[in-house]
Amino acid sequence: MSEPLLSVDKLEVVYQRAITAVQGITLSAQQGQIVGILGTNGAGKTTLLRAISGFHGTDDARVTEGTIRFKGRRIENIEPHRIARSGIALVPEREKVFPNLTVAENLLVPAAPGLVLAERKRQEAQVLQFFPKLEELHARTAGLLSGGERQMLAIAAALVAKPELLLVDELSLGLAPVVVEDLAARLVQIRRELGITVLLVEQSAAVALEIADYSYVLENGRIVLDGDRARLTNHPDIQEFYLGQSSGKRRSYRDVKQYRRSRRWYG
Amino acid sequence: MLAAIYALIACGYVLVYRVSRVLNLAHGELMMLGAYALMLTAAQFTTYWPAAIAAAVGLSLLTGVLVYLFLMRKMTGEMVLAAVLTTVALGILLRGVMVLVWSAQQQYPAQALGVANTSIALPGGARISFFSALLILTTLLVYGALLSFLRFGRWGIRMRAAGQSPLLAAQRGINLHAVYALAWGLSTLTGALAGILIALDSGLDQTMAIIGLKAFPAALVGGLDSLVGALAGSLIVASAEVLLIHYVDPLLSEVVPFLVLIAMLVVRPWGLFGTREELDRV
Ligand SMILES: Nc1ncnc2c1ncn2[C@@H]1O[C@H](COP(=O)(O)OP(=O)(O)O)[C@@H](O)[C@H]1O
Ligand SMILES: [Mg+2]
Repeated sequence: MSEPLLSVDKLEVVYQRAITAVQGITLSAQQGQIVGILGTNGAGKTTLLRAISGFHGTDDARVTEGTIRFKGRRIENIEPHRIARSGIALVPEREKVFPNLTVAENLLVPAAPGLVLAERKRQEAQVLQFFPKLEELHARTAGLLSGGERQMLAIAAALVAKPELLLVDELSLGLAPVVVEDLAARLVQIRRELGITVLLVEQSAAVALEIADYSYVLENGRIVLDGDRARLTNHPDIQEFYLGQSSGKRRSYRDVKQYRRSRRWYG
Repeated sequence: MLAAIYALIACGYVLVYRVSRVLNLAHGELMMLGAYALMLTAAQFTTYWPAAIAAAVGLSLLTGVLVYLFLMRKMTGEMVLAAVLTTVALGILLRGVMVLVWSAQQQYPAQALGVANTSIALPGGARISFFSALLILTTLLVYGALLSFLRFGRWGIRMRAAGQSPLLAAQRGINLHAVYALAWGLSTLTGALAGILIALDSGLDQTMAIIGLKAFPAALVGGLDSLVGALAGSLIVASAEVLLIHYVDPLLSEVVPFLVLIAMLVVRPWGLFGTREELDRV
């Protein structure tokens, strides 16, 4: 196999010099893959994506161990705008659009500086073909968009910068199932037509497993399980605790806790 | 006239506050520094006064950028209060240095440049001095330029984006340091324009920083993060000042802006056009 586009090796992230949120994560993404990161609340998924896309001064977070390589170059602890310019775009979990700017202005912000107008328009048109609805909403203030529209805008704004790696933090969070279906299909189409690589963080294992070629399961800041779609969908633990398809009798909360504890020794 | 002065100064407060949530309490001193810079450039360009003004304004733009790069940039990630206190310290330092260098004496850059401040007759019998007229015109031009820059300019949109969500702006590839430096540069530039035109109109001494401070209530009344608000706030504060001086007591001049400010803060703490904000980090 050729060298992966992104490779994370024994990554450790510490908040406020005290709280270790990610401990020893190793993963990689091949060019053109959709890679899923599954895990429950507080597993460290957001922290992982933020480490890749760069911490900001106010985050008070640092990569203290391990490396992140993008196209062979080390990028840990570099300022976010430099990482963005190098070809990584993030669709954040929470603040994902500029609420007081219009849709059009939101799409203008990320375009590379010094781009001539015609080139910028062409790039924007290419992105908007995936989200024709945004075209109608051009002059709307982003803060007034619905959750689904906002997610579309966030993805579109990330794509305008022409990234090679797209990081999506919680595609499905707070959205209706039909909207999620639709967004997931667009993501697959975007990957196919633009050939970009996607790292998709999801609480909802069903969504991630449906479109990801390869997935990692995160718990307590560690990877406890990984594999391709077939392996994970058929894995008993995944079926039981992430997809919620209990075969036969439902397990009790104590079993879940037991499972959690046993998992801790994996990483 | 007074409204134009306040408005031209107030937009400097608004620019910096809007993108970085920092109150620049050294704005009055930076404005005064711009006026003194004119004394320097006046010595170089004795023959053509607009060139002297342009050079002084250019120097001020540079000063603002340098203040950000070498001082305020270090405050990134600190509490806003710490950054504001830094600007207070900067103001005191600048004032001290300016007294040392230029003394506390009144100076007249207009004489140094050899321009007469002729008075122009207005329709209706009123008269206005040349530099007052120029100041009003400049204020209108500056507001027009700033508003359209923030509305349509690439960097203007970036400045608004960074003001709303610095983190997302950085994640979208915007160099925040460049945006903040630009805001400081533009803010100091507009302040210097005001300082220079006031100095040309009525002379220059250490009290100029007080005019800068009096414009601060104007910015705050308008809501600090709104240029239109700053314009309205300046009109309100200046009208109140002129009326009270005329009908009550000229000695009130120094306190009127602050009285208006307090009245405003009681009624509507976020200003006329401002948005409600909680205190934030730099
Ligand atoms: N800014 C922060 N400061 C301190 N701890 C944090 C911060 N952000 C997240 N954490 C901690 O890091 C762990 C992982 O959080 P996060 O990456 O947000 O998880 P996920 O995205 O998987 O829900 C959690 O235990 C959380 O409490
Ligand atoms: Mg998260």
